[in-house]
Amino acid sequence: MYNRELSTMSYQSGNPLVDDVEFALDGPWAAYWIAFLRVATGWWFFHAGITKIIENGLSFTYGASYMQGMTGTALGPIPVWMGNNLAWLIEPGVPLFETLIGLALIFGAVTRLAAFGGVIFMTLFWVGNAGFGHGLVNSDFMGLLLMITVIMLSAGRYYGLDAVIEKLSFVQAHPKLRYLLG
Amino acid sequence: MTDIIDKAAMALSAGLMLLGLVGMGILEILAGAPYSPVPITNEAGEVMATPLISPQIRTGVVLAGIAVLGLYAAYKVVTPLADDAKAGQETVAD
Repeated sequence: MYNRELSTMSYQSGNPLVDDVEFALDGPWAAYWIAFLRVATGWWFFHAGITKIIENGLSFTYGASYMQGMTGTALGPIPVWMGNNLAWLIEPGVPLFETLIGLALIFGAVTRLAAFGGVIFMTLFWVGNAGFGHGLVNSDFMGLLLMITVIMLSAGRYYGLDAVIEKLSFVQAHPKLRYLLG
Repeated sequence: MTDIIDKAAMALSAGLMLLGLVGMGILEILAGAPYSPVPITNEAGEVMATPLISPQIRTGVVLAGIAVLGLYAAYKVVTPLADDAKAGQETVAD
């Protein structure tokens, strides 16, 4: 109810009788900024992925050894096990998924699913890099928060392809797909 | 519309994340150096002081809060949509 009223009010920026001036001004700017955050976050991942592909193709061997070294973290034996047993997935997967997550966020397509992948990446970076010299809230954690923010705000609906995709009859018939889109 | 599960997910996730970041961060500062969850070492690499709470525990608590958000998302995926949520909601973007 609150959201519906809010969005209705925000359409009335030309109406001087609407007393919620802040909402009328904030709506478009909030949408603009959510979209910008999504694109910037996407470019960050796309750059990381595509440069790995350019330099080493789909054989990012450092990924597996990095995870093998993730001992004594809050994730317990999971990353080390992944490094030891999933090298076949990690070596092509890190550059490939970084690139695809980046593209998805840039274009705002399948945004929430892509950002969920970003959450997985940033969780591993945050506890794996363990750059806690200036506290727990570091740039890795900010990246993790950005990915969660993209999911929370369904950032793909703002100047993103998901705004179009979600109107397709297939998605209308399966509305839960919006949990992966948006 | 928010029900008890929405509120519980919000409270528990935010509570865990803030506990790990801010709550334990305040304790770490009050306990004296190091003020961040890394040990202080001298030039020879010997550990001079260790943090009050290990980064494993603090990151674990924060990740538990994020995991609550993940569980909430999974709950939303497996439960039926509310009648008023089946149509896409208009956004303020355009």
